[in-house]
Amino acid sequence: MLLKKAKAGALLDAIAAKERLFVPADDRGTSRFVAYGAGVEPRFDLLNTKLPPKDLLFPATETLYRWSRDGADLAIDSAFAETDPFTVFGLRPCDMASVDRLDAVFLTKGYVDEFYQAKREAATFVVATCAHPGRACFCDSIAASPHEAPTADVLLEDAGEEWVVTPQTEKGASAVEAWKPYLEEGDAEPIKAACDLKVDMAAVPEKLKGMFDDPIWSDIGDQCLTCGTCTFVCPTCYCFNIDQDVREDEGKRFRCWDSCMFTDYTAMAGGHNPRASKESRVRQRFMHKLTYFNDRYDMNLCVGCGRCMRDCPAAVDISLIIDRIAASEPAQEKEAMAHA
Amino acid sequence: MPKTPIEVSHGCARNNGEPYVPQVCRVIDIQEQTHDVKSFRLQTLDGKRPFACEPGQLGMFSDPPYGECMFAVAGVGEDYCEFIVKNVGFTTNHLHELSVGDEVGLRGPYGNWFPYESAKGRDMLFIGGGIGMPPVRAFLRHCLAHREDYGRIDFVYSASTYDDLVCKDDLFNVWPNEPDTHVHVSVYHAKEGDGWDGAVSYTAPYLEQVFAEEGLSTENACAVLCGGPSLFRTCRESLLKLGFAPEDIVTTLEARMKCGVGKCGRCNVGGVFICLEGPVFTEAELARMPRD
Ligand SMILES: Cc1cc2nc3c(=O)[nH]c(=O)nc-3n(C[C@H](O)[C@H](O)[C@H](O)COP(=O)(O)OP(=O)(O)OC[C@H]3O[C@@H](n4cnc5c(N)ncnc54)[C@H](O)[C@@H]3O)c2cc1C
Ligand code: SF4
Ligand code: SF4
Ligand code: FES
Repeated sequence: MLLKKAKAGALLDAIAAKERLFVPADDRGTSRFVAYGAGVEPRFDLLNTKLPPKDLLFPATETLYRWSRDGADLAIDSAFAETDPFTVFGLRPCDMASVDRLDAVFLTKGYVDEFYQAKREAATFVVATCAHPGRACFCDSIAASPHEAPTADVLLEDAGEEWVVTPQTEKGASAVEAWKPYLEEGDAEPIKAACDLKVDMAAVPEKLKGMFDDPIWSDIGDQCLTCGTCTFVCPTCYCFNIDQDVREDEGKRFRCWDSCMFTDYTAMAGGHNPRASKESRVRQRFMHKLTYFNDRYDMNLCVGCGRCMRDCPAAVDISLIIDRIAASEPAQEKEAMAHA
Repeated sequence: MPKTPIEVSHGCARNNGEPYVPQVCRVIDIQEQTHDVKSFRLQTLDGKRPFACEPGQLGMFSDPPYGECMFAVAGVGEDYCEFIVKNVGFTTNHLHELSVGDEVGLRGPYGNWFPYESAKGRDMLFIGGGIGMPPVRAFLRHCLAHREDYGRIDFVYSASTYDDLVCKDDLFNVWPNEPDTHVHVSVYHAKEGDGWDGAVSYTAPYLEQVFAEEGLSTENACAVLCGGPSLFRTCRESLLKLGFAPEDIVTTLEARMKCGVGKCGRCNVGGVFICLEGPVFTEAELARMPRD
């Protein structure tokens, strides 16, 4: 089945008439996934939005429960709520791969995060492949591919004037069924693009295990401002804080995005902080993305979207860091050389 | 008979409802342990124990409008869970202002637990300092409740001064009267007129002294070590020097925690989350982890 790009608007209107629909669009000077409606111009030409789509499943702040106090008495009401179905149309393959990472974190390893789960189950992801990957894109050598998205509900393969539409899940199949009036029969040749920027990840997760004391961390720590931008724009960074809003005798406890780049992230009472130095925090970020997460969930915590590289004010570039790790000698060899 | 290796379980998470939302509990008892440590017994509003848990597991205590803090469950009774709380900062300061009858939030239990199964048949050497007491107490009480499953029990415990000793009733009246149970207490500093006539020593040298004087053996023993960073470092060295195999030393780790369920990302050491796969590890396992 084909969807003519020129006719996408009619399909979006039809979807939006049924349920909430999110599309990539400009928004107050940035770009992100916004609710489709009057005045929203979808930007399917954007490679990836400036802000990541993670807030659709894991909002930047999210109330967990409300409490109220009356003298000694305490009442606690969960803020958990079911989510109505919604569609995300025009996600990029790297961002779909980031959803796989969030799924692993929030839905596996003993505890299911119900706040996340409710949204995840309500979501239908329609992924559009990338005909022209950008300069900072390196998904195909780390986690994904510009022309595939195996976990998307519906895949839209870019074929120039149209998309080749393929449902990949049950949810996707029923979505495409409903789209029929807007689709056309026919064949088109999908564009199978590749990224120019490549990294060589093969040895990186193992090498990093011997690099805890490598000078690379003080070097990057020196460059980094620990502003946290990289972690907020990253579609896979999921660390959160739990804090509260208090209004006299009532309040709410919420979670909000946090950053391992901040000093107080691990600070404990009495001034003890296991990651007080920038060097140790930078090491944590890259170790987590490129080796710890791999051990735990069998995938990298970087999908090669390039956002952190584009937006870092200090030009910290994860692809160059991966190059440096890949080029470094294993610790044992270094030791052997030191003793020679 | 070859001894069973100590095996700490790290795959113990279980889903008990919404992981972040606490249940409301009532404070039913408060004991002033020292000038800055109090113990609290919590019960559900319908008079039940808030949760069943294993020795070493954690509970997240919340006191709106103040914060949430993670504590080791120091003991459980038929109808309560008990926590021992040191006043060190903002939230713990407010916890110390609670009165019996006040309602607070509690969620958990979180984390793994002490290897009480694989330690069966061993002599148990517990070592704790200051506010390292709660987890040790939970495991020690388990051993005493199943006394026939374990060999000789020794507990080496220290605090800064006599006044800082936590759970004095257990230390001086309850545990020494249990069969083949030997409690050894030292203080770091003797204070004029505090009535302390026992050992004055830091924990590690005291541990070595007790080990020699009592003729203890590492042969079929398991050491359990809980305390702050410097106590941990020095006693760990002593235990290794005394001949304990790293596999036979069990300890607990601490880190700042928010979620308690391995999601929020902040309590990791390498690829391990202390709230979920920990807090209990053997020294052998710690040696393989990055020094994070
Ligand atoms: C696994 C575990 C078991 C613990 N068991 C006990 C116990 O049985 N008894 C006891 O008295 N204390 C225990 N603690 C320490 C206790 O959680 C902290 O003392 C408490 O959170 C301090 O909070 P505060 O708001 O009073 O201090 P502040 O310094 O005002 O706290 C600021 C923030 O830092 C964090 N924080 C501060 N100190 C610690 C710390 N040591 N560990 C983790 N997070 C910290 C808290 O999240 C708090 O929100 C335990 C900690 C952990 C991680
Ligand atoms: S965006 Fe750049 S400067 Fe800011 S924390 Fe990330 S790496 Fe450091
Ligand atoms: S680390 Fe950077 S390149 Fe990798 S997924 Fe996050 S933002 Fe994208
Ligand atoms: S406290 Fe959140 S991951 Fe451990």
